[in-house]
Amino acid sequence: MTEKPKQKVYKGRAGRARNLSNSRAQGVYETIEVKPATAVIGGIVSGVDITQPVSDAQIDDLSHALADHNVLFFRDQPKLTPDQQIDFANKFGELHVHPAAPHAEGHPELFVIHTHKESQVNNGGGWHTDVSCDETPPLGTMLQLHIVPEVGGDTLFANMYAAFDALSDSMKDFLRTCTAMHESEHIYRGRYSDRGVDDADKVYPSAEHPVVRTHPVSGREALYVNRAFTTKIVDLENAESDALLKFLFTHLEQAQFQVRFQWEENSIAFWDNRCTQHLALWDYWPEERKGHRVTIKGERPFHRMN
Amino acid sequence: MSERPLHEGKLDRAQALSNARQEASYETISVTPVTPVIGVAVEGVDLSEDVPEAQIADLTQALANHNVLFFRDQPELTPEQQIAFARRFGDLHIHPAAPSDAEHPELFVIHTHGESFVNNGADWHTDVSCDEEPPLGTMLQIHRTPGSGGDTLFANMYAAYDALSDKMKGFLDGKIAVHDSERAFRGRYADKGVDDKDAVFPTNEHPVVRTHPVSGRQALYVNETFTSRIRGMTEEESDALLEFLFRHMARPEFQVRFHWEPNSIAFWDNRSTQHLAMWDYWPNERYGHRVTVKGDRPFYRAN
Repeated sequence: MTEKPKQKVYKGRAGRARNLSNSRAQGVYETIEVKPATAVIGGIVSGVDITQPVSDAQIDDLSHALADHNVLFFRDQPKLTPDQQIDFANKFGELHVHPAAPHAEGHPELFVIHTHKESQVNNGGGWHTDVSCDETPPLGTMLQLHIVPEVGGDTLFANMYAAFDALSDSMKDFLRTCTAMHESEHIYRGRYSDRGVDDADKVYPSAEHPVVRTHPVSGREALYVNRAFTTKIVDLENAESDALLKFLFTHLEQAQFQVRFQWEENSIAFWDNRCTQHLALWDYWPEERKGHRVTIKGERPFHRMN
Repeated sequence: MSERPLHEGKLDRAQALSNARQEASYETISVTPVTPVIGVAVEGVDLSEDVPEAQIADLTQALANHNVLFFRDQPELTPEQQIAFARRFGDLHIHPAAPSDAEHPELFVIHTHGESFVNNGADWHTDVSCDEEPPLGTMLQIHRTPGSGGDTLFANMYAAYDALSDKMKGFLDGKIAVHDSERAFRGRYADKGVDDKDAVFPTNEHPVVRTHPVSGRQALYVNETFTSRIRGMTEEESDALLEFLFRHMARPEFQVRFHWEPNSIAFWDNRSTQHLAMWDYWPNERYGHRVTVKGDRPFYRAN
């Protein structure tokens, strides 16, 4: 825009700050302790031993804590065996097999996260929700890192309830009427060739999802487009869709919606894919970062008017 | 975002543009389209004489149909002749910022030369959309042209609106935007001796989609010169949407580029067009007289 007058840098900050307070987790739990990692997203969980069978009461509290805090961090766990991690994740639902990535021997549900000196790319280096290109994208993902670099390799998580809340009523109303295409061909084709995956015969999924997604547990509305998979808002012209997506991506990537998690050896993050996005930094080359990820199946995203 | 085929959607666009074509015929004037989308050359009228009522009626209709009328074969009009002709279309408007002729306050002198600091209307705009009742139309005769250069581009805002998706139209219909002239006019005419330190420049709200009072058609009514904000949205949302709309409305398929000859006249409908004046002729001179016809308050009426 030409010769636009300079806006005051701090204009509107109080409005934003009040808005963000809607995202503050209020849950109280009987069988676990949860300490907020930021005021907007992330809870640090203690009082659970994942190597032992976890009680139904604790699973119930963890499910609520996940819906409340969007991502749960566990700092005090030992290194889980594949079976321990799979069993624990199974308590939250059936497990998902990744459409493209290589998996651990004998455990197709286990996605090995491994970045090192010879890697060509890292996993999830841009903002995304996991495999939103699927018809039924995962409910959540549980990652434990066994080998962490001395410094670096943090993961950023962003709260998509808060990102939606921060939009104007007028924009919210419009987006509630929209669906978007999520595609993966452009992401996955040749993506794992450095790890020996030949995908010549593979067809990568694409799906249409609501732009505003109602969380099936909390009933709250979350912004559900991401820079990695979302290619087009349906029924808009390409130029219109590009302009709107560009705005939404820039909007949802603002720092006030985020937590930045610094991994220690055997830290676990368990994130709710339905109301978050995340990004993994690769700022530690040539060092190594390795871990196991398991992913819980989700339901088809929907939007329901409040 | 994924790679897109370069020529995707061109047929849709071409078909949508055909809606802008107006094949009207007139009893008392002859009009020749300059492009299929906007602008006609008018013949059969002598503007230095008293123009008959039937011709005024045809010209009014032609203006609504074709958005801008060009007259090539007129003599240099005296201020009185130009003012008298323009008055046939409505009361005349006095510009809130520009210097005016002492004898003829309705006459806005357009003059750009080797010592000018700016030219008039170099960015896309509709005239003084910052006013509560922006002009219906503007009539400009250029008396001295720079030889080559100094063209004016006009764009059809019906066509720009038509080219949006139904979904985007639905989003924009009924929205209100702020048109703010402080940023456009403050200090603007200092090089012509205008002291504006006590002036208050107008700001008004208008619908983003404007219903033309004569044709009843919908036109996109935001412009990069005056429109600062869409109401009811955050600043970032409004910026993103306006940025898109300004780029969208500036697509060449909505435009005509008019090359002025000495004494050419353009008479444009401010309610359904935007225009832009090129300053590509420095240090040469371009001089003319503009008269502006008052308009009504913009409104939106759903179809």
